[in-house]
Amino acid sequence: MRRTLIIVAPLLTLAVAAHAQTPSADTPAAAAPPASEAPATSTPPASAAPAPSSGAAAGETPAEADSPASTADATAPVAPAAPEKTGVDVARSQPAVGADWPFYGGGSGATRYSPLDQITPQNVGGLERAFVYRTGDMPTGTAKGKYAAETTPLKVGDDLLMCSAKNVLISIDAADGTENWRYDPGVSNDAIPYSASCRGVATYTDPDKGADEACATRVIEGTIDARLIAVDIATGKPCEEFGENGAVDLWKDIGKRVPGWYAVTAPPVVVRGIIVTGAQVKDGQAEDAPSGVIRGFDAVTGAFVWAFDLGAPDQNIDGPPEGETYTRGTPNMWTAAVADEELGYVYLPLGNSSVDYYAGNRSEAENDYSTSLVALDVTTGRPVWTFQTVRRDVWDYDLGSQVSLVDFPAESGSVPALVLPSKQGDIYILNRKTGESLFGVEDFTVASRGDVEPDDLAQSQPTSAYHTLRGPDLTEADMWGFTPIDQLWCRIQFRLANYSGFFTPPSADRPYIQYPGYNGGSDWGSVAVDTEDGIIVANYNDIPNFNRLIPRAEADERGLKPINETPAGAKGGANAEGEGDPQTGSPYAIDVNAGWRSALTGMPCTRPPYGGIRAIDLKTGETLWDRPLGTARRNGPFGIPSYLPFNIGTPNNGGSVVTAGGLVFIGAATDDLFRAIDLKTGKTLWQDVLPAGGQANPITYEVNGEEYVLIAATGHHFMETPVGDYIIAYKLPKS
Amino acid sequence: MSDNSAHGARRGGGFWALLALALVIGVLGAVILAGGAWLIALGGSWYYGIAGLGLVLTAILLVRRQMAAVYLYLAVWVSTLVWAYWEVGLDLWAQVPRLVAPTLVLIAVLCAIPALSSRPTARQVPA
Repeated sequence: MRRTLIIVAPLLTLAVAAHAQTPSADTPAAAAPPASEAPATSTPPASAAPAPSSGAAAGETPAEADSPASTADATAPVAPAAPEKTGVDVARSQPAVGADWPFYGGGSGATRYSPLDQITPQNVGGLERAFVYRTGDMPTGTAKGKYAAETTPLKVGDDLLMCSAKNVLISIDAADGTENWRYDPGVSNDAIPYSASCRGVATYTDPDKGADEACATRVIEGTIDARLIAVDIATGKPCEEFGENGAVDLWKDIGKRVPGWYAVTAPPVVVRGIIVTGAQVKDGQAEDAPSGVIRGFDAVTGAFVWAFDLGAPDQNIDGPPEGETYTRGTPNMWTAAVADEELGYVYLPLGNSSVDYYAGNRSEAENDYSTSLVALDVTTGRPVWTFQTVRRDVWDYDLGSQVSLVDFPAESGSVPALVLPSKQGDIYILNRKTGESLFGVEDFTVASRGDVEPDDLAQSQPTSAYHTLRGPDLTEADMWGFTPIDQLWCRIQFRLANYSGFFTPPSADRPYIQYPGYNGGSDWGSVAVDTEDGIIVANYNDIPNFNRLIPRAEADERGLKPINETPAGAKGGANAEGEGDPQTGSPYAIDVNAGWRSALTGMPCTRPPYGGIRAIDLKTGETLWDRPLGTARRNGPFGIPSYLPFNIGTPNNGGSVVTAGGLVFIGAATDDLFRAIDLKTGKTLWQDVLPAGGQANPITYEVNGEEYVLIAATGHHFMETPVGDYIIAYKLPKS
Repeated sequence: MSDNSAHGARRGGGFWALLALALVIGVLGAVILAGGAWLIALGGSWYYGIAGLGLVLTAILLVRRQMAAVYLYLAVWVSTLVWAYWEVGLDLWAQVPRLVAPTLVLIAVLCAIPALSSRPTARQVPA
């Protein structure tokens, strides 16, 4: 902990002023925010002065200002006078998406939209592979069956920057795939949580360094063994001034080091010079689990700046007292946040508490924050507003999608807004400054709160009046199979299970159906937003889960133990998440049959499609087109590929890219195809068979006047696609 | 379909093929009837119970080499078609479990016609 960083406000003001005079060299000015808005003017310097010790901030907060949220769940819990943290920069103009793909989500607003237009519906049929690069990171030993790299590179200048499944940082030439450098932080197989994933990296340019200095621009990743690592963008050498030899240990103040329990799989985000990261806390292990704390670190030095501990936001803002940890078991953020450089906010899509399927033992903080989007002010480390999408979540409906920042075309004019997709399928449009929904938030009254803990579950849940990807409740007629016999079997299961529609509560006496399942709706692939034409492109899953709570005695009989009580790396990754998770501390373990597969054939018990993609009018939320995504070629009964070219609509993971050329590029489906779809009609215009699963977000960029499209074919154990280490780029043939 | 052809196939390949078909349809029918009865008891669709019964009866009629097996199964198949359309309309994927197997059975039953007698009494003559 580097508490020495905390200095008094007048000094800070000077620092801000000094930074403000430093023009940023690295940035095309496209998205430059007005300079006048830069310093966080809401901070009264005088009152902020004596705030160094932990807990000092508590007294200054007037009453808890939980706004009387009428229908919306947006609340503004924070008093205005929070001390500004040192080390925070002014807002800087951000690199623009186009020739480069400078952020995980494309541009700084994570819209996954590119202004490139060389590849069009007319010429996309001629797309050819430009190069195939192999990262060399393939599973060995206990890592087998646990790989899901989900790689999305950045493109900066002439290079592509990425991390492999086990966090090897790699730079390759964007034109031909030649390797520039690699840096292997040496992550052990034991560290693999549910999956070995590293979705992406971030970069940061130090405004005080000359362009030729080492680490003037650095590539930053979070690792599955919970380190923040920074290396020089040009050489791949660790940045000496960052943490200890280029690494910051995120296990600090988390508790006993249990490999695999606490892991970063999402790209960190840099806001006003502060690296913000959460971590994945492996689901379903125990109530006494690592904290879901969100932390800010200085992007130059790696020094700790603040912590947002949901359970003790005031007390632990400067870290927990000596010998203690951040509040354990709190909701974590395993997915990607988005920086709002202009407002100085970071939007944190939080997941559920560590024990997903039992709410009775949760704290008020968990109830307030689980499955919520939180806007955090990086200048203070404090939440500005919160938007909760599920009350008392017992469905593992973590917010998995990165939100997209848009200027929303409202009747009254453009509103700085964000698009928030959810696993339930609801898409919300929220005002970035206030967290209020621009469209109605409806109250869905649940049909049943069950017998297990009716008083701890909510009577109603929010849904979006703007748009939902969710289908109607299942009926017996939705049961499927290959023959009347397995269809009949699934119908019997349907009738035997508890099912009261959307938000059916968990039960132990018999299985229950959860629909949509925890894979979405929209998951980590998120949505793409064509901000020019005002179109949201959303791919989604349409599959239930078939679950049952397992009473503790039965769980003990089955030998279900949390990760801290089992030998490291002992458990294979072949089982789906939630398939026998102990939930230690609660009265029930949980059994999840993800996708509700028939015990007879291994095929889903419900009819296809299992996934689709649709275009939505940004302004109105109306569907423009909607179609199944993914062919049956790799799927069939007993796991035998059918080779059927029919577009059945498969489960999918990974998002899309939309281009100004009028195309949507997406892999994601379990058919291992990478395809180009006509943005206007939804028709597939081109496709290529990938050598492994395309469960990754693609990107597009330009080198030497040529537009490239790129996807990682690295496969996904949970999606049951072949694992690979391929980075494949496409472009048009030279005419 | 004449008496001759029926009797001629009596102990040949046709006889065993017919018996095998009857056995397959009988087993399928028994499973669907049992499951269908369970489904009815659970408050679900009556289709499977009825269709299962139809299959079992078809199997019995096939063993007895009666042409009525064909007429009965045709009735089951046409009812299946109507029920399937009523339940999920023209959703082709949803129709796969509802129509593919029953149609394969229909083809098999139609192929068995040469081995069947149109006069129920003919089979009563002891061998």
